[in-house]
Amino acid sequence: MAITRENVEYIAKLARLDPKGEGFDKIAEDMQGIVAMVDQLQELDLGDITDVIDTERKNAMREDVAVPSYDRETILANAPSVECGGVSVPRVVE
Amino acid sequence: MRYEPVIGLEVHAELSTKTKIFCGCSTAFGAEINTHVCPVCTGQPGALPVLNKQVVHYAAKMGVATHCRINRLCKSDRKNYFYPDLPKAYQISQFDVPICEDGYVDFEVDGEPKRVRFERIHFEEDAGKLLHDEGEGTVVDFNRCGVPLIEMVTKPDIHSSAEAKEFLETIKTTLSYLQICDCRMEEGSIRCDVNVSVRPEGSEELGTRVEMKNINSFSAAVRAIDYEVNRQIEVLEDGGKIIQETRRWDDSKVKNLVMRTKEDAQDYRYFPDPDLVAVEIDDAWMAQIESEIPELPQSRYKRYIADIGLQPKEARILSDAFDKACLLDEGVAMHRVDARAIANWILSDISKYLNDKGIELKDTRLTAGKLVDMIELIEKNVISGNAGKKVLIQLFETDDSVDAIVEKLGLKQVSDEGAIQKLVDEVLAANPKSVEDYKGGKKNVVGFLVGQCMKASKGKGNPKIINQCLNKTLAKL
Amino acid sequence: MELYQKTAAELSVMLKNKEVSAVELTKAAFARTAQVEGQVGAYITLTEQQALADAAAIDAKRAAGEALSPLAGVPVSVKDNICTKGVKTTCASKMLENFLPPYNATVMDRLHAAGLVMTGKTNLDEFAMGSSCENSALQKTRNPHNLDHVTGGSSGGAAASVAAGEVSIAVGSDTGGSIRQPASFCGVVGMKPTYGTVSRYGLIAFASSLDQIGPFGRCVEDAAMLADVLMGHDAMDSTSVPREYESLTAGLNADIRGMKIGLPKEYFGEGISEEVSKAVLAAAETYRQLGAEVVEISLPLSRYALPIYYILSSAEASSNLARFDGVKYGYRAKEFDGLIDLYVKSRSEGFGPEVQRRIMLGTYVLSSGYYDAYYKKARAAQRAIRADYAKAFEQVDVILTPVAPTTAYRIGEKTSDPLQMYMGDICTVSVNIAGLPALVQPCGYDSAKLPIGMQLIGPRFGEQKLVNAGLAFEKASGLSNIVAL
Repeated sequence: MAITRENVEYIAKLARLDPKGEGFDKIAEDMQGIVAMVDQLQELDLGDITDVIDTERKNAMREDVAVPSYDRETILANAPSVECGGVSVPRVVE
Repeated sequence: MRYEPVIGLEVHAELSTKTKIFCGCSTAFGAEINTHVCPVCTGQPGALPVLNKQVVHYAAKMGVATHCRINRLCKSDRKNYFYPDLPKAYQISQFDVPICEDGYVDFEVDGEPKRVRFERIHFEEDAGKLLHDEGEGTVVDFNRCGVPLIEMVTKPDIHSSAEAKEFLETIKTTLSYLQICDCRMEEGSIRCDVNVSVRPEGSEELGTRVEMKNINSFSAAVRAIDYEVNRQIEVLEDGGKIIQETRRWDDSKVKNLVMRTKEDAQDYRYFPDPDLVAVEIDDAWMAQIESEIPELPQSRYKRYIADIGLQPKEARILSDAFDKACLLDEGVAMHRVDARAIANWILSDISKYLNDKGIELKDTRLTAGKLVDMIELIEKNVISGNAGKKVLIQLFETDDSVDAIVEKLGLKQVSDEGAIQKLVDEVLAANPKSVEDYKGGKKNVVGFLVGQCMKASKGKGNPKIINQCLNKTLAKL
Repeated sequence: MELYQKTAAELSVMLKNKEVSAVELTKAAFARTAQVEGQVGAYITLTEQQALADAAAIDAKRAAGEALSPLAGVPVSVKDNICTKGVKTTCASKMLENFLPPYNATVMDRLHAAGLVMTGKTNLDEFAMGSSCENSALQKTRNPHNLDHVTGGSSGGAAASVAAGEVSIAVGSDTGGSIRQPASFCGVVGMKPTYGTVSRYGLIAFASSLDQIGPFGRCVEDAAMLADVLMGHDAMDSTSVPREYESLTAGLNADIRGMKIGLPKEYFGEGISEEVSKAVLAAAETYRQLGAEVVEISLPLSRYALPIYYILSSAEASSNLARFDGVKYGYRAKEFDGLIDLYVKSRSEGFGPEVQRRIMLGTYVLSSGYYDAYYKKARAAQRAIRADYAKAFEQVDVILTPVAPTTAYRIGEKTSDPLQMYMGDICTVSVNIAGLPALVQPCGYDSAKLPIGMQLIGPRFGEQKLVNAGLAFEKASGLSNIVAL
């Protein structure tokens, strides 16, 4: 499946990457070869083998028992911008 | 032309687990900003989720209660999108294999039976809360991140806002019966998105569907549906076309506005979460889940009408409230007093007390056994109905037995005929004029004399026996 | 013999006999590091003060007669994608250049409990995406055997730190060969354990279903000793396997007579350099002489391993790395106009080109309309590959293959063509796809005196067979404890 520039821009938008960013043209170009490589998989006939729920491991669950939370300061220590006890972002208009 | 609305709902209910779905942080409502947080629920690099077993248990209970098929093997999937309230930039949810599928609930709308089918029920994590200050920014509170939810998706079986409201009430009642959700509407424990389309009456084809978000109460759902149905009809009447889009309901302005159109529809790139493993509900677990499903409100409603002879309205009040219904059923099961009497006490004095105090049954000391003890004393004429009301207050507030309360408050009726005869004789002796009047044919003095006897007994005389005694004595004169 | 030239097993004995203290060992490690680090560049962060304090604490415990585990007091380096509380964990990315994790990875707790002394955080390809360590945005690491050549990757810093004698053992991670290929390029031993046997809690995820932490050493015994510390069930990782974990070290046995070793014909054909093929086949001959039975086998789906790997790993990476959005931690663009611009600029400026390529590929294969053809098909093919291996392990105990098509290439040789770089993973990725354990160790040198490695692949939980086979070869070949520089 050849990948078009339109595809690339749509994917970049989904991935929140900048198709006009530095060096992105090379990335878009490289995508052609990489997609061609993964496309080799299309020639593989798997017969009746399909994707199913992986059951090698199952039911790894915890009981509903509380453990102490972290301090606000610890959790927010790496945040680029904190206001009023929370990370702050540009105003979100819904 | 007349139009028929076609409505489907996506209802989110918060599960009342102690801890979040993937970490041990508390789910308690109203905590200070960013205090119920840890590396897992704030999406710190390297942190991993571990599923809370109780979430699976609760979701399956809802599935069983709504006649769903339980997928005994299910999985968790990632729904990928960027938003500041979603710290991992994906929500862990269930995509193609939800825990429950193909169910239904039955209920009544204006006395008519109605069935709404379920497409699916799945579990997922809640997002955080965005706080908008007066300034330029938005601040993110992660406390809600990872609070467990179930999402219930209906088929488009609803055709009016009234049906939607009754459906939502039924869901709420069922959730509270199962004790898997606090159902605190003001805290957003139950939210819903609404899908609305309209079609010419009689048509089988579905119209273009509009999704409405941000509906925070059942009454808002009614307003939002009515608004959207009218809007769509107006568009069609004007020769326009409905556009597939998502609209945001603004309840304060009683209108909705476009959020996004089909063109910028989300591409969520769902895939199985590789950090989580499959969930398998084995037979033993399934049996445990099934054993925890109580008799549901619809069934109790019918039973109260048929077996106890309640009015539909009364049956509805009792069956809607799990705690009251349990109190009634427990009391009836003792087979000691008239079932109707128990229902009456719950509908009147008990409900009034709870309403006045703004509390629930579980906040009181009342038990079904003691309620029956009390009613039994009334039926046996040991205490009067009025005295019963006094006993009830004590049953709410103390752990004393009914006998002890009756004793303490001196509420026992005098029903002993000898004692009453003595009372009657005294009263007649003290009221010779009334006796003369009676003999003279004025039979209505009996009422006065009964009153005098009651007064002489300090209110404890059994009025029935006083009446009998008095009439008998007067007749002999 | 200098302290830095000794194996962890040797140091363990010296510590136990109080011939050397943990503090002395730690000082020796930093002295050696001071000597060679300028050339090698294995580390992003050195934690000398903390290391000396930790070592002193171990010495105090030993002096007090406390029972200590075998590696207590031995210095170890840790790959910089494993969270260390309060110590920068960068993933060699501008995105996390100043990130101080609020918690420790489970393996850090295990290392600490066993008394190992962390010397610092080693370099890697950004977010472990790469096969040469050249994708690090923060540091250049060179192969101690020839400073003009790459270390391999992504755990290049870990491999180099061990090869150059800065430490005797190191912790790395392997998603598609990230422990094994640099071990091969640097002439050291590296093991990728069975998926689920080492907790991933605190390992900054690249591809969750393939990532696995594992040990480096300069001899098989050292790798086994460190594996014993790392492996074990962890309730914080849902994919961690609850089972009895027996000590690999205790079970070491170089007598491999009767062991069946498979040579998959698909691994010795086109694309594999002759020197590499020859060295690995010579190792097979050594095994035969040691009394093993060597048989040719077939893993017919091997040629599809690379597309399967790049689809699955990139898909997961695109989702795993979405959390780096400039909001909660990590790099935030200096200038932006609104929320979406904040996301886009922070990510475009914070991630290097290889990371962006993988995110793009991963987003593409999961996107609407392409999911079935790529992701779903790759998952089905993954099952087929597992079945391939399961069938092979009905015939043989372990499988012997090359690790990489070539020895360490020159720095810059492959950086312009990512696809050529990907081809270098051809011998290693199927092991991750199948969730199997694999051990890599040196088996010779090429004409340029660069090490050649060989790979032993085992069945699930077959680590003991691997280290036993590895030990047998190591003893027979004498290719052990090679310190470069």
